[in-house]
Amino acid sequence: MRHWLRLVVAFVLGGALVMAAGCRAQGTPEPSPNTPSSSGLVEEPKKYDGSTVTFTGEAIGEVMVRGENAWVHLNDDAYYLKNVEEGAQLGGYNAGMPVWLPAGEAGKITTFGDYKHEGDVVTVTGEFHAACPEHGGDMDIHATALEVVQPGHRAADPIKPGKAVLAVALALLAGALFAANRVWGQRGEIAPRVRKG
Amino acid sequence: MIVRPRKEDHLVIGKYTGKVITGVGLLMVVPMITSIVLGEWDTVVDFVISIAACLIFGFGTQLLCRTEKDLSWSHGLVVASGSWGMATVLGALPHWLSGHEGTYLDAMFDVMSGYTTTGLYLLQDLDHVSYGLNMWRHLLTYAGGQGIVVIALTFLFKGTAGAYKVYVGEGKDERLLPNVVQTARAIWLVSLAWLGVGTLALFITGMALGQEPVRAFLHGLWVFMGAWSTGGFAPQSYNTMWYHSLTYEVISVVIFIAGSFNFALHWAVWTGKRKEILRNVETVSFSITLTLTVLIATFGLAKAGVYPDAMTLFRKAFYQLASGHTTTGFSTIYSRAFVTQWGPVGVMATTIAMAIGASACSTAGGIKGIRMGVIFKAFMQDIRKAISPESAVVRAKYHHVHDVYLEDGLVRSAMTITIAYLVLYALTAIVGTLYGYDFLQAAFEGVSAASNTGLSCGVTSPGMPAVMKVLYIVAMWLGRLEFMSVFALAGYAVSIVRGK
Repeated sequence: MRHWLRLVVAFVLGGALVMAAGCRAQGTPEPSPNTPSSSGLVEEPKKYDGSTVTFTGEAIGEVMVRGENAWVHLNDDAYYLKNVEEGAQLGGYNAGMPVWLPAGEAGKITTFGDYKHEGDVVTVTGEFHAACPEHGGDMDIHATALEVVQPGHRAADPIKPGKAVLAVALALLAGALFAANRVWGQRGEIAPRVRKG
Repeated sequence: MIVRPRKEDHLVIGKYTGKVITGVGLLMVVPMITSIVLGEWDTVVDFVISIAACLIFGFGTQLLCRTEKDLSWSHGLVVASGSWGMATVLGALPHWLSGHEGTYLDAMFDVMSGYTTTGLYLLQDLDHVSYGLNMWRHLLTYAGGQGIVVIALTFLFKGTAGAYKVYVGEGKDERLLPNVVQTARAIWLVSLAWLGVGTLALFITGMALGQEPVRAFLHGLWVFMGAWSTGGFAPQSYNTMWYHSLTYEVISVVIFIAGSFNFALHWAVWTGKRKEILRNVETVSFSITLTLTVLIATFGLAKAGVYPDAMTLFRKAFYQLASGHTTTGFSTIYSRAFVTQWGPVGVMATTIAMAIGASACSTAGGIKGIRMGVIFKAFMQDIRKAISPESAVVRAKYHHVHDVYLEDGLVRSAMTITIAYLVLYALTAIVGTLYGYDFLQAAFEGVSAASNTGLSCGVTSPGMPAVMKVLYIVAMWLGRLEFMSVFALAGYAVSIVRGK
């Protein structure tokens, strides 16, 4: 029984350690600039279906031009002004809305958000569709005009010196173990079987 | 009496677990190279740390656990489940070091989700993660789909007789070729052929949809990996809704349905037996249950008037249900839309589809079509027996590569695993409900985790209670390895402390 108890206590303590050691400090994440926010639109699609909304968010990823119009995706989540690499507080998943608008308007966006960039923050006004009949039932906003509110920028993510030192130390240790394994580790290997013909 | 494992047992388990973890470390070279090519230097450092940690564990255990003993069946099961556990702990390092995970537990959740081809995730600000980390997420799910042990079998094991026991321990039992290493290579041959064709098709479509060449290629590769492995990870938080394209949806459906088929079926088709697709019990079972669940969802959605026309309704219903049934987890609707638009009927139909799952010995999860087929045939056989004269001999058979006659042992085995899945589904649903979530939503999410699907209706989130995160991790692990290997690992732990 004692062995059992030891095992359970070790498991619980180990688990708690993993969770506690891994917790990041939490602050106040950036709130959405929109009312209703993208989450609000998803939560109550019927209420807003067909209504005109003004939506502000960070242009993410890329513009996908389809003829005279284009798709852009605007995120109004906790990272729309600053992303994690720049020190934004973790504030849950991304949230946003796809926007269908004239390609010329989409062309005003010069920076799209990704690992290396914080995208342009833009505002669009348009009709919200809970299930767009033109786009296979997608939830989207059809906008006619776009305004760049805040230009995007490059998001630097320099190498942290502490991590670099750790990387070198661990790599050297791994190399040493590889060498040791080559010298002493092969003795236990099973010799390849010879097929008898 | 429980027999305490001897030193030789620990050594053989340590040795082979070390080999598999070395394989995981080597796999990380691919995302590291991606980051080097794209100049993501901090991510490169993250991968150097992670690779080194895996190699230290791998070489260290191989150095400490030198033995000539070969694997027994119980060793194989323990190595398979133990490797998955250790690979999750060490594979989480790149996620954690990226700064996008709230806790290390969240990082482990995402990695277990990847290996088990589930697709649920707790990573935050996905739309700003590096290409290297995105490559690692998708590679995890692609490698997990083939089985990380299969990878190790292919590249690191030198034809030991025990290799087959680890292979079975990972939830696969089809021997396509006489030698298990040859079988592992055959699985890779089929997967890599699909990788080439599928990525090319998605890449060309992505370009046509307006993506830049590099992004079109990477998205094509990653969406292929997510589809083929029935994993459901996608490079953007919008999942496959990002593309707003019927063509992209059709290609991804073809890939994930193909990915959900039994490797034995693939091999049969590969070697010229094309009629097997129409005759196999798993494809027949899948076609019937998919049709039924799509009809239920369509009925509910039509009644609620969610979509403007029949074509749109069918497109949305078929995509989500096919994705759920193949346990892929791709979605062209928002997660919360299952609740706010689809409603109880849609949620229920999707939950049933996920619970059934796709084919055995594939990348898919769930109860599996072959078990549904066996149980249905056994049920029909019992009815026929009941209405036949006492002297009549009633036999039933099903077709899986060749004709198989139903025997009690086979039916019992199918029922045992099915009941184990149902208990796991119930447990995850009950725990979710106890934490205050709506029962239907808790059931949807619990089934999604335990069947390795990855569709979410919003229950899974970084703010979810830690107990539920742990439960989902265990559920994903149990579901993917089909219980036995994880039970063997638990038995091994018990025998260490209680054995004589």
